Amino acid sequence: MQISFNWLKEFIALEVTAHELAERMTMLGLEIEAITEPGKEISEVYVGQIIDIQPHPDADKLVICKTDVGDSEPLQIVCGATNMKVGDKIPTAVKGATLPGGFTIGKRKMRGVESCGMMCSTRELNLGEDHSGLMILPQDTPLGADIRKLLGLDDIVFEIEVTPNRGDWASMIGVARELAAFYGLELQLPKVEINESGEEAGSCASVSIEEENLCPRYAGRILRNVTVKPSPPWLCARLMAAGQRPINNIVDITNYILLETGHPLHAFDYEKLAENRIVVRRAQQGESITTLDGESRKLTEDMLVIADAKQAQAVAGVMGGADSEVDTQTKDILLESAYFNPRSVRATARGLGLVTEAAQHFQRGADPEIVVYAINRAATLMQELADAEVAPGILDEYPKRQEGKEIKLRYARSTQLLGVDIEPKKQQTILSDLGFVSQQSEEDFCVVLTPSWRHDVNHETDLIEEVARHYGYDDIPTTMPPIRQSDRVFAPVEKKIRALRRFLAAQGLTEIVNWSFGNGENEKKSGMTDQTEHMVMLQNPLSENYPGMRTTLLPGLYATASYNHKRGARSIQLFEMGPVYHAVDEKELPEEPFYLGIVLSGIAPEHWSEAERPVDFHDIKGFMDTVLGHLGYAVTLKQLSNSAFQEGQGAIVKIKKRQIGYIGKTALAAAKSYDLPESVFVLELNLSKLFERPMPPAQFKDIPQFPASLRDLAVVVDLSISAAELTSVIKNAGGPLLKSIDVFDVYRGNPLPENKKSIAFNLVFQSPDRTLKDKDTQKAIEKIIKKLQQQHGAELR
Amino acid sequence: MKERFETIRDEALARIGATTDLKSLDEVRVAYLGRKGKVTEILRGLGQASPEERKEIGQRANTLKKELNECLDTRKNTLEEQENLEKVQSENIDISLPGRGIPPGHVHVINQISDEVLDIFSQMGFQVAVGPDVETEYYNFDALNTPDDHPARDSHDTFFVKPGVVLRTQTSPVQIRVMEQTPPPVAVVVPGRVYRVDLDATHSPMFVQMEGLLVDKNITFADLKGTLMHFLHTFFGKDIQVRFRPHFFPFTEPSAEVDILWTARDRHTGEMKSKWLEILGCGMVHPEVFKRVSYDYESYSGYAFGLGIDRIAMVRHAVSSITHLYDNDLRFLEQF
Repeated sequence: MQISFNWLKEFIALEVTAHELAERMTMLGLEIEAITEPGKEISEVYVGQIIDIQPHPDADKLVICKTDVGDSEPLQIVCGATNMKVGDKIPTAVKGATLPGGFTIGKRKMRGVESCGMMCSTRELNLGEDHSGLMILPQDTPLGADIRKLLGLDDIVFEIEVTPNRGDWASMIGVARELAAFYGLELQLPKVEINESGEEAGSCASVSIEEENLCPRYAGRILRNVTVKPSPPWLCARLMAAGQRPINNIVDITNYILLETGHPLHAFDYEKLAENRIVVRRAQQGESITTLDGESRKLTEDMLVIADAKQAQAVAGVMGGADSEVDTQTKDILLESAYFNPRSVRATARGLGLVTEAAQHFQRGADPEIVVYAINRAATLMQELADAEVAPGILDEYPKRQEGKEIKLRYARSTQLLGVDIEPKKQQTILSDLGFVSQQSEEDFCVVLTPSWRHDVNHETDLIEEVARHYGYDDIPTTMPPIRQSDRVFAPVEKKIRALRRFLAAQGLTEIVNWSFGNGENEKKSGMTDQTEHMVMLQNPLSENYPGMRTTLLPGLYATASYNHKRGARSIQLFEMGPVYHAVDEKELPEEPFYLGIVLSGIAPEHWSEAERPVDFHDIKGFMDTVLGHLGYAVTLKQLSNSAFQEGQGAIVKIKKRQIGYIGKTALAAAKSYDLPESVFVLELNLSKLFERPMPPAQFKDIPQFPASLRDLAVVVDLSISAAELTSVIKNAGGPLLKSIDVFDVYRGNPLPENKKSIAFNLVFQSPDRTLKDKDTQKAIEKIIKKLQQQHGAELR
Repeated sequence: MKERFETIRDEALARIGATTDLKSLDEVRVAYLGRKGKVTEILRGLGQASPEERKEIGQRANTLKKELNECLDTRKNTLEEQENLEKVQSENIDISLPGRGIPPGHVHVINQISDEVLDIFSQMGFQVAVGPDVETEYYNFDALNTPDDHPARDSHDTFFVKPGVVLRTQTSPVQIRVMEQTPPPVAVVVPGRVYRVDLDATHSPMFVQMEGLLVDKNITFADLKGTLMHFLHTFFGKDIQVRFRPHFFPFTEPSAEVDILWTARDRHTGEMKSKWLEILGCGMVHPEVFKRVSYDYESYSGYAFGLGIDRIAMVRHAVSSITHLYDNDLRFLEQF
């Protein structure tokens, strides 16, 4: 909504500066989005009249005009427009004029012909987007008048955001009323002066409402012998200041009254209404209408229409029909001013996909009591500007008066809710200034009736807000509440997730945050399709790239790695923590497990002291070991083969028997499809599952009193035998004194045969009650060697 | 006899002085003071001398021994110092070279901010709650006093999953989920992802919000102001100017938006400029919301607030476009 400061001052005698007013509006809830001064850069532009047009001798697309701006000599102006003729009145910038965008007009030669000014289009005056031709002013515009005054450009315009609850603010009167209440000023409504004449309205037309609930009030006026023509400059200026394009006086007047009162009106061509009847009814099955925008629209039975004796002529409160549209041939008009049910208008507008200015006003709740004032204001202007003869009487169907709501305000409740003691008298005054009518007034409470324009006030608490707003949010003190807590814990693992995030960053990984959208194709490309068939799909996705919600973090990790490689990063170590979404049959909402994903790609972090090398499986496994070890979990890997990982380098991550994720080298096909290098490694863990079973608190074990005995053991085995298999045998054979087993060397090559490798272990033996002797450990070692030989054909190296 | 001692002495001192390393110095020591050394031999031959001679030779030999030992020690110190110096010189390194170890990682700036905000509210006594991203219309709208035909729904540009199910457009539905699970008092903050069908330099279809809810006896609008002032002063600094201005949310009444007066350098002109920036929305919990969760509106009152984590991250770090936050360009991420 754009509020003209000049116009506002016609309603209330404001004595504040625009700046102060803007502050105040903001603090009353009228949020200012912008303040503009449309004519700030415009000077020396006057109304000129073209008295001669001659072709330019050297340019086909230019003409030479003589324009009279009221000075002794007409100006010679070279012009490229084609929409003007001799006699037209045009805003004319004379020598020394300034225009928006820092233009200064001077004398100059255009293709050899002197030009001493410029005739302007609407866009050049900041009045609209139209640049197709000159702005042609009505014939009765006074010659030589300053365009700033004439077109209301010496104004300040506040662009305000009207919150959905305050439909009444979407009008000049609405804003003026709020400010009048605050400043204690009288609201001066524009005058209604109608000289009725001719046949009674009641005998030329009839109105019947079939759906009282959807249309509680319908008023009509008959206006005869109108002259449809352009509106005068002041009216055009008002519309343009509000961002609207003038069309003709009839349409412009209805738009003007909408700006002024917030009440949408509609003008029908009286002669086009069959039997001159207005029937407010539901659309019939299969009925359709061509609306003013030329679209044919199918109506449904829950939509309200304004019909004549034969057919729908308007979609009630949304848009008029083309068949009864006012055009330049129109003589007589039936003017509609109605109050429609907000929900019905909203449902209809949505159903038709037709968001109009009128619908927006009605669906926020218009004012049933302004219906007659609005139609009379329009009639006043039509009489004045369209030579209308106004038929006596108003066709006002208002079967059941729309009563306001009676609401009780306990003064103590205000205090209790706001935390400030506001005098009952003050509370009462605020409400009555805002138009709430006192029904009962007691020492500790009052009952007020809501004004007809306030559909948003339904509860005591709404009245308290009114009191708070006009008392001033600034004047409410600040206090710190004692904060008492529920005994329920709502997010038990949140803290662990936050700690883990810090830990991962401390390990040298950088966190990314991807959108949670997903794409089945991308999941296929990544090879991780465990849950893809359970993807949550969106009905109205942002784009084809994001048709649903991700079921895995992998595609996002790959895409991000690829994005950064392309921008020069050689060593990529990223992690992401966030939800993925798995639809569950027969459940309304999907599961949203919280995942951790790590991707390593390209080369390992470089250091000058070491040779460059690509990342490998043991890098990613190191992160897994560190993370899970830090959290206190012991994991095992189970090799798997699926399309996400390269054969032999992919595994399921397990804690005891529970699968909690995957680790592996990205399959070459997947890496290639994301433009990634060959060495890409990922880890994906389901943290929700991991944290499902909290670790019990660690229990203290005695610090060993006797020294440990250290032994090394190196064995030669087939390449296919894993360290884990050997460790398991050693552990079983080592007996209770064996405390730890660590691999410290793996060797392949001379002098070992090609299919063999040597693995060396550090074994630590320790007893809680004595110092071990060689023979104790020797016995264990011998047993271990024997078992290794038996089970894996291992030979001592 | 005297000459013999002097000859040995001069010869020994000359040899000591001529040594260049500890090894040759030790050889000199052995040659004179070792078991077969020249001074040792003289002492060993004492038995053949007369008692008077024995006394004189003994004295002279001991004096010489002492002198030589002192000289040897001095020389040894000198040589050791020399050797250390050589060793240090040979080990000379360039300390300006980068250290070995883990290159620094980075927590995403959104999560840095989110954590910081959570910490401030945790210290005040709020606990963290979470809720689902894919949410029912009931929790996202209806229970928050935003029925289907409410105009406020239009402004939300909601993603729909299926009838009755949406991507949450705000973290507020978690208010309802929390209150359904517990009677008052309740004090929670709720970080989370929210979604709206919108994409340009200032809008991302996914962004991060944080909700707050406090319900107890006698909670007032003044308490709401106090709590948020404390937060804003802690987060943005003690001197930040704050204003509460009336606004509308379907699920709070009275409602407010909170602005801070933020001073920053203009990207184009380079001038310092102050302007009011909207930071969060808040209000007193609407009685209709309490009704949905069967809280007694007469005995309890509460406030709720919601703030854009992306927004305050951008304000504080002067990030020019929200797209930076979700592009995950390392050249961006590594700045924080």
